[in-house]
Amino acid sequence: MRIYEDLRVVQARLAVLQALAVVLVAALVVQFWNLQVVRARHFRDLAENNRSRLVTLAAPRGALLDRQGRVLVGNRPSFNVVLTPEHAPDLDRLVARLSAVLGVGEAAIRERLARRQPYRPVVVKTDATLADVAALDARRRELPEVSVEFVPLRSYPLASAAAHALGRVGEITERQLQLGEYKDLAPGSLVGQAGIESEYNREVMGKDGFRRVIVNSRGLEVAEAERQAPEDGPSLTLTIDASLQAAMEKAFEGRAGSAVALDPRTGEILAMASTPAYDPNEFTTGIDASLWASLATDPLTPLMNRVIQGTYSPGSTFKVIASTAALEEGVITPATTFFCPGYLAVYNTVFHCHNPRGHGLMDLRRAIANSCNVYFYQVGIRLEIGRLAKWAKLMGLGAPTGIDLPHEGSGLMPSPEWKMRLFKTPWYAGETVSVAIGQGQVSATPLQMARVVSVIANGGRLVRPHLVKSPAGGVEAPASLGIHPETIAAVKEGLRAVVAEGSGWRARLQTVEVCGKTGSAQVVSRSRLEKSPNAQALLPHGWFLAFAPADAPTIALAVIVEHGRSGGESAAPVARQILAHYFGLDRPPGPGDAGVTDTEAED
Amino acid sequence: MVGGIDRRFVYNVDWVLLGATLALALVGVAMVSSATHSGRYPDLYLKQLALVGVGTVGLAVAASLDYRRFADRAMLLYGLSVVALVYVLRFAPVIAGTRRWILVGGFQLQPSELVKLAAAVFVAKVFSEYRQETLGLRDVALPGAAIALLSLLIAREPDLGTAVCLVPMFLVVAFLAGLRMRAVAGLAAVMLLLAALTWPFLKDYQKTRIYTFLDPSLDPRGAGYQKIQSQIAVGSGGLLGRGFREGSQAQLGYLPARHTDFIFSVLAEEAGFAGVVVALGLYLLVLWRMLETARLARDRLGAFLVAGIAGSFAFQVVYNVAMVAGLVPVKGLPLPLMSYGGSSVLSTLMGVGLVLSVRMRRFAN
Repeated sequence: MRIYEDLRVVQARLAVLQALAVVLVAALVVQFWNLQVVRARHFRDLAENNRSRLVTLAAPRGALLDRQGRVLVGNRPSFNVVLTPEHAPDLDRLVARLSAVLGVGEAAIRERLARRQPYRPVVVKTDATLADVAALDARRRELPEVSVEFVPLRSYPLASAAAHALGRVGEITERQLQLGEYKDLAPGSLVGQAGIESEYNREVMGKDGFRRVIVNSRGLEVAEAERQAPEDGPSLTLTIDASLQAAMEKAFEGRAGSAVALDPRTGEILAMASTPAYDPNEFTTGIDASLWASLATDPLTPLMNRVIQGTYSPGSTFKVIASTAALEEGVITPATTFFCPGYLAVYNTVFHCHNPRGHGLMDLRRAIANSCNVYFYQVGIRLEIGRLAKWAKLMGLGAPTGIDLPHEGSGLMPSPEWKMRLFKTPWYAGETVSVAIGQGQVSATPLQMARVVSVIANGGRLVRPHLVKSPAGGVEAPASLGIHPETIAAVKEGLRAVVAEGSGWRARLQTVEVCGKTGSAQVVSRSRLEKSPNAQALLPHGWFLAFAPADAPTIALAVIVEHGRSGGESAAPVARQILAHYFGLDRPPGPGDAGVTDTEAED
Repeated sequence: MVGGIDRRFVYNVDWVLLGATLALALVGVAMVSSATHSGRYPDLYLKQLALVGVGTVGLAVAASLDYRRFADRAMLLYGLSVVALVYVLRFAPVIAGTRRWILVGGFQLQPSELVKLAAAVFVAKVFSEYRQETLGLRDVALPGAAIALLSLLIAREPDLGTAVCLVPMFLVVAFLAGLRMRAVAGLAAVMLLLAALTWPFLKDYQKTRIYTFLDPSLDPRGAGYQKIQSQIAVGSGGLLGRGFREGSQAQLGYLPARHTDFIFSVLAEEAGFAGVVVALGLYLLVLWRMLETARLARDRLGAFLVAGIAGSFAFQVVYNVAMVAGLVPVKGLPLPLMSYGGSSVLSTLMGVGLVLSVRMRRFAN
């Protein structure tokens, strides 16, 4: 009844299909083996990168305190807006929205995105306002890729005051990242970029913490997987006195120049100012390019710390060195006299005194007091360059002082060897005559000159200037130069006379005896200056070195006022203001001040 | 016929095929639950479970009916299919940029899924009528054109995935019906030519998918994203998987279309290679039993019907799983039995019902 169809061909071909099915499924199994077993670790890492986001918890840097514990540099809370764009469905729209909400240019956001590392959030706006934060919070669902991070931001409450000493912070540069000392830091880290902030970067840096959070595909945080709290950086106590610093800044009244005050017994820097200055707050979130350009190209070089980087011809302040050298080498005694007719003709040249009519017969004390050039020409001729250079170097010229700040200049103390090496010409005896009054090739920083005058103030020791109090109070004893007390006493007598009866009278205080030395650093030759006497930029810089009280000095000072004409006119009054504040004489006497001069202010 | 089911039929139910099918459907329900429990519709798996229930009823109905009755109405089924597809193209609402679904009693129905079954019946009927031993290209041209019409109508929706499913179905049956090997090669050449000709008509997103398949890093956020994220999910599953509802790719939403086209990624991530082998084993078992049924069928019609259904089923499974593994371009093609979606579940289970029907009647008159 039943008619069976011939199904042999069908059945044979079905066997082919069955085999094909097995082969296809086997091929799939092989691919899954490859993905899930062979490359499992790779994909597990990718999945982990997908779901977890590392949020850095920035550690606040340690505060910088003045010697009284007052805050010079601290931290303030700030907000960074960050973007994790990995899973943004439409990056262009996101950037446009974010740009509108935050008021940041789209181009700026794109530029930051271009420099990002995969799976690391990108900071879109630093130091966002509370209004920004509120606006983002209201759009949390629309902008899940965007989050707000809390970041402690460096703040400089004194603004530009002591800016050069304190320094500034900024994002670590490409070049720094290559250096060994920064090799554990990630791009984007804030590090000190100048001053104390740079020199003691490691000491004040805290240890950043992190949060590893689980985010969903829209970027919304769903859980926290791990947290390591940041460790605050330890604070650092400086030798600076904030109040004296303020007085020093005020004394400059907008003039370009610099001053440094230190304790001649220890080398502790009490105040350090360089004007014009800049506001380091402008740098903490990445400085604006136009502001940077104006700072970097300003002819008054606000970024330069003149105290350690400005090298000036020391002028007559060099006579402190020449006197010491001459006495120690036995070339003169304090009683040796020379006659000053207003010039000295020697080596076929006429060397002038600043007083064209001449000072008459001068001993050492009066020569220093009147800053008589002829006297020191004679001293130079007798000392010769070798012994003069030896003493200048002993007293710290031509080499960095070793202060704990980066990029210190060394100035120059010329010598025959130096000249031969550099210019291949022999030394002329006439050059020694110029160098003896601080002209010619000799140059020094204000800090070097403050250190020179400290040698006289502290009885012959060369201090190492420093800004951070040595740990455990272990102040290393400054090296003694082995100068005879008689020499110190004789030079000091001269410096006392400078203020008491000579060119430095404007630094005089009523109750405290001040020692000092004026100087002027020529910018152009005397003959050129005479042709255009009123061109401000051609006027010499005014120098003043000082220490006080004369008998037991607790403060030494170097002041330079750029283009201030003579030191007596320009720098001495600045020094007086600083000293007056130091000794508490700039305010009306109070009931507790009776007879008080130095001790109260010093401690 | 109703109530008069031959007892021999019950003895001949392929319990292995039925068991493997339902096991896969239930694994699918579990995966839908895992993929959606933290989302906006955490109860979607219940709906899927209900659909599996409805589909099982459909399976029973399809199995209880004599497939030859369907075959007798093959022309009518074909005509209805064309009408339904034209209706969809003209009147269906636009959902996600496509016209695929019509609303029937509050349910979204995807006619193209049911058209697949009608097409299987149509193809089986046409080829079973041929009496010659071997077929040439000329012999398959007419049924080929008929199937191409259905395929083009579905492709217009657009639903390229389902449209392409009809091709292996047709090829498998033509192959079994004795298409000469030379003709098979010729047909393959024609298919390639057609593919080349359709390239200019592909939508931009379809082209992008093919470009980014070749190099996913071209557009990691766009079309390449799906492939990359799916591979990450699969690979991170490892040997034993991250655990049920523990796969970060699926749970945190990195996987696209995770309860529909990419459901197998969820399985691979959460059940690992072990789970993949079990699931693929079940799919191979289903396929194997289907082809066995075709071998055992009492007539060419039954063999062709089963083979057509198996061909389309095999193509969908292999393509979808290969897509999940990053071997082929991303295409909107659900994984039979596991992906969420009523029409797919219903048509797949009814197809299995037809296969059971053929096997049950292998000794019947």
